[in-house]
Amino acid sequence: MPDDAATGVVSGDAAEGALAYLAEMSLDLRGAAILGEGGAVLAASDRPERWREDAAALFEVADRAGNEPVEQIHIGTEQGEVFALRHAGLAAVAVTERFALASLTFFDLRALLRDLAGGGDGRAGEAPPDAA
Amino acid sequence: MPPKPHRVLLDRVSGYADEAAAYMRRRRASRRPFARLYYKGGRAEDHAGDSAVGGELFVAAGRLIEVAGKKP
Repeated sequence: MPDDAATGVVSGDAAEGALAYLAEMSLDLRGAAILGEGGAVLAASDRPERWREDAAALFEVADRAGNEPVEQIHIGTEQGEVFALRHAGLAAVAVTERFALASLTFFDLRALLRDLAGGGDGRAGEAPPDAA
Repeated sequence: MPPKPHRVLLDRVSGYADEAAAYMRRRRASRRPFARLYYKGGRAEDHAGDSAVGGELFVAAGRLIEVAGKKP
């Protein structure tokens, strides 16, 4: 995986919380998973084993397509859209409705992974509780 | 001689309709299935569905879409 920085251990609880936050703020999201080192699923919206296998297959095909590891994947089909992103040893895969805003989705995924990798809970974009 | 008022209105309405039709055509064209890979430094590559890699990417994406299911 291409890394910007080596990541520490991310707890399953933090990943679960980050995934819940992502689902809460992304209206187009159908499902998502956060993967750690070696492709292990840290959190998934459902059926983690399937997410692990299918995300690994996607990254494997994408890496084979070029002569360097892929950093982001965006695939749009008639049935929905798939976004995948690697950052700091972590990976996030999300499936959305069609016509989801790609730049916004990638921004959210990147912010989530960056925060998790830095030891946060994946809610870096959340406003503080006392913000009006 | 200035055009009759109803001509101005008709021209304006048909102009809006043409714009809307062109927008819909562009949107359909730009939203065909696609597979786009991004690399470090911002380089991006598109893979057509009828290429070997493109086909594999669409199969892999289809499996993920299936596991995600419909929106809850």
